[in-house]
Amino acid sequence: MNTPQLLLSALALGAAYALVAVGFVLTLNAAGAVNFAHGDSVMLGGVAAVMLGVAAQAVGLTVPGIVLLPAVILIGAALGLVIGALGFLPLKDRPPSAVFVATIAIASVFEQSATAFFGPAPRSAPPVWHQGAQQPLAMIVVAAVVLGLVYLVLERTQLGRRFRALAQDREMARALGIPATPLIATAFAAGGSLAGLAGALLGHQFLVVANQGPGYMLKAYIAVVIGGWGSVPGALAGALLIALFETFVAASLSAVWAQALLYVAVLLVLLLRPQGLFGEPAGRRA
Amino acid sequence: MSRLREMATPAGVLVSVFILIAGIALARGGDSYAIRLATLAGIQALLALGYQMVFGHAGALSLAQGALFGLGAYMAALVALSAGGSGWASLSLPAAMIAPALLAAIVGAVVLRLETHYFALATLALAQLIHLGAVNWESVSGGANGLSGIPTLALFGIDAARGWPMLLVTWGLVAVIALDTAWRRAGLRGAAQDLARDHPLAAASIGIDVARHRYVEFVAGAALAGLAGGLQAHVVGVVSPDGADLAVMIGCLTAVVVGGRTRVSGAILGAILLVHLPEWFRWLENRQLIAYGLATLLMVVLAPDGLASLFDRALNVFRPRRRAPPLPALTPSATLQPVTTGPTLRARHLSKSYGGVRAVDNVSLHLRPREALAVIGPNGSGKTTLLNLVTGIARPDSGTVTLDSLSIDRAPADVVARAGLARSFQTADLPATLSTLDAVAVGAHTRPDEMARAVAWRALQRLGLEGDAATPVGTLPAGRRRLVEIARALATRPWLLALDEPAAGLSSAERAALASALSRLVANGLGIIIVEHDLDFLARVCPRGICLDRGRVIAAAPFAALRRNADVRAAYIGDAR
Amino acid sequence: MSAALHIESLTASHGGEPVLRDIWLSVEPGHIVALLGANGAGKTTLLRAVIGLVASTGRIRIGDRRIDQLSPDRRARSGLGYVPEGRRVFAGLTVRENIEVAIGGGGKLRGRRVDEMFALFPSLAEKLGDRAWRLSGGQQQMLAIARALANRPPVLLLDEPSLGLAPIITHEVFGRLRAIANDGVAVLLAEQNATRALAIADEAVVLARGGVAHRGPAAALAPEAVADLLVTG
Repeated sequence: MNTPQLLLSALALGAAYALVAVGFVLTLNAAGAVNFAHGDSVMLGGVAAVMLGVAAQAVGLTVPGIVLLPAVILIGAALGLVIGALGFLPLKDRPPSAVFVATIAIASVFEQSATAFFGPAPRSAPPVWHQGAQQPLAMIVVAAVVLGLVYLVLERTQLGRRFRALAQDREMARALGIPATPLIATAFAAGGSLAGLAGALLGHQFLVVANQGPGYMLKAYIAVVIGGWGSVPGALAGALLIALFETFVAASLSAVWAQALLYVAVLLVLLLRPQGLFGEPAGRRA
Repeated sequence: MSRLREMATPAGVLVSVFILIAGIALARGGDSYAIRLATLAGIQALLALGYQMVFGHAGALSLAQGALFGLGAYMAALVALSAGGSGWASLSLPAAMIAPALLAAIVGAVVLRLETHYFALATLALAQLIHLGAVNWESVSGGANGLSGIPTLALFGIDAARGWPMLLVTWGLVAVIALDTAWRRAGLRGAAQDLARDHPLAAASIGIDVARHRYVEFVAGAALAGLAGGLQAHVVGVVSPDGADLAVMIGCLTAVVVGGRTRVSGAILGAILLVHLPEWFRWLENRQLIAYGLATLLMVVLAPDGLASLFDRALNVFRPRRRAPPLPALTPSATLQPVTTGPTLRARHLSKSYGGVRAVDNVSLHLRPREALAVIGPNGSGKTTLLNLVTGIARPDSGTVTLDSLSIDRAPADVVARAGLARSFQTADLPATLSTLDAVAVGAHTRPDEMARAVAWRALQRLGLEGDAATPVGTLPAGRRRLVEIARALATRPWLLALDEPAAGLSSAERAALASALSRLVANGLGIIIVEHDLDFLARVCPRGICLDRGRVIAAAPFAALRRNADVRAAYIGDAR
Repeated sequence: MSAALHIESLTASHGGEPVLRDIWLSVEPGHIVALLGANGAGKTTLLRAVIGLVASTGRIRIGDRRIDQLSPDRRARSGLGYVPEGRRVFAGLTVRENIEVAIGGGGKLRGRRVDEMFALFPSLAEKLGDRAWRLSGGQQQMLAIARALANRPPVLLLDEPSLGLAPIITHEVFGRLRAIANDGVAVLLAEQNATRALAIADEAVVLARGGVAHRGPAAALAPEAVADLLVTG
């Protein structure tokens, strides 16, 4: 592949990773803890896209993947709410490591369920637009639109303002009359939808397989650490950086080296500048 | 003797009995499959015991344990395969232990100081690297197919065949490690470790080197992971990247969460369940692992201390209430009185700024043994910051703190504590389930338990807390908990004591009693520096004091004169001067 | 809407320790009650108990309505404005957003209220697009007050607003507080700076040892007398 094609590929991957990372950082800010099941929401989004595509074909419809996306987004939102209800709500007075461990258990349940009902073989999700030749471009467009919406909500609406206030100082937000629970629920739903959508987009080229959840989770985790724990623009920047790094290193060396060097880079970042590129916004917790 | 009794928890007894019965059943009619399964359970028990050291005892959420297990397996395989039948094959298990331990030693030195969310990621990245190496470094690891044909374990020429010999070796090791860990955790040493995990500042203030404790547990946990992996390689005969997979890590985490984070019996129980539940519930077919994940989630929410703790608590309901421990012998060496004269604390020109604001500005003070110094001042004047600078919790931007000739301004809190300067905090961080006597005795954790309890008893007497000696600390009212914390600081037998608002939450009678107790301690040789708002209380204890305002010392005088000082009065009511 | 704040038989703890016992206190509309006392006497705990961030027993009423069984956010929406110790503005949000975020109701109402706040605090209007972390201490204090007033609550709670501020700024802030009270708001002002607080207050309540040590008209209490109570003994 030549450089422009590589760049397009990297941006498409970055677009999908950005959806995952932004979804991750939204739940992180809402819950104050790591949601380890986030990656499996991505995987289940891919599963949903595959199943919906199969169902559509079974009734004789040939639809471009884009028609299925709203359904996938809704399924993702539902998954997010389930994770919030089971993994966060009962544990909100415990230290954040309890939520971490609980969401690891949920991730395991998601993965085992997918293996049991979906089967262990990798499958491909329908492309966004017909034959899939424009898949990279389609991914970028879809992600840009959705992330643009997220940006608008966060920056221009009362909901977004309240969410940002809650993330910065939860106690003070409550003392000013801002109810926390609806905001946290919305954040989990939004995080889940973004993850599911990313899964549907990635599922065409990178296939959907039950055990791919933790891999995506790790990408989001790295993106958030690089970009600054809790920062939404940071998560986006981190995701793009990871995608660029992976794509170009894979092209020059190999996919394996891309992964290995990524992990080495992460370790270096943690050792040298753990606060990331954008620093930790005021009032962060683990 | 009391240590052994402590180790025999109901859960521990239950698990031991279960193992005994299972062992007999296997001996009577176990087929090779059942024996192998039991061996694998033992291996998982070793892995879980190792993870308990990291996650349970040190409180570090590491996600590398599974990968270190796999690393150990590969090391054992490589050594055993290249050694052929020679004597070098005996090194397979040591190699399996050393490689992960070495890796943990190197990586741990830098990542353990990270906060939880960064530490977890660092260990996850390490785990992924190991897994990548296993899959892709084909010349060494055999790639995706791994290595096969691993010979049986050889120890100094003796072959431990698969089947009964490996079963006995594995469970023998489990017994040794479990008993050793339980022994190390029994009594006050376990309480000290728990304090280091849950309240690192409080632990440092009684002289515990928290960072070293975490490091040692991390490396030991890695060594055990490697040992377990090595045994696995010999039992199964094959190693593959699946053995270093995240699934192994999740299994290990599940075993510890379900069984119990800190009880040794919990690790063993969790491991047995992890290996056998899928077998017992085979009829669920694929769904069994889903059920297991749900069960783990349930445990985290409902019983975060695990099944072992549940058993213990349930069975303790039926046990007769333990009598108060017999009063320790009050030998002369159990006194709190220093034998020689202690050092003088001197702070010179201390300054500290936070974000452009001068919290402490050019403050100097001195404190000798047999002296009591009050530090007063309005809100935000820098009193607690000053105390933190003097006791090693914070580092000054400029200025020095010395104990005679020993410079302590750059020293961490635990070093300062071991040098003889103890302190209490505004939040009394005490382990709720310990008896008051034991909670205080943790302060004397460097001594044998009986001696530590004797010292603790003396401290309780000094503060009028003898009646609460057997009561669990969590049930005491908040004011008395503050006193217990001071007693714990006294149990370190310090030369000097720094107290941060000791009177908060105490009734008038309790304040009077504390004031008398402190005066007596000073008369007996202790030096005390007290930050406090209750000026009447301070008047009873401290002949002199200093007043801070906006980080500066605005007056230093005999205490009565200090209270009448015009600058001090103005500072307290905000009169702009 | 104006209403009085009534605190009846309040007992509250701070980190498990009983700090306040059986406190009775009322603030009438248009009045400033200065809550004085050394740190540790319970001023902050009292205010946090009223807004519900700290558990307490006893009754708290705004007008006739009891709020002590409600969660903090519902108490705020019932008519409590809270300005905490240390200001705690939302550092990453702009000045305008800090005020907007607190306002319930639709976009038009929000716009109106924001304008009202900027009219009350002209110096904030100049900075409306700046992130809050860029403001000076005095400006942040003004912002915290504007944020608390944005919903036009009948009751305003302030915890040590003078902390860390230069005397000139403190003077300005306190002048505003008097104007706000004159508009009909019931103001409960916890302050260590007794001199300044007494200068604008109608009544004074001095806390010590978990209870009320002195209660009476502010004019009758000299700062020196407060120094006697708190310091000299």
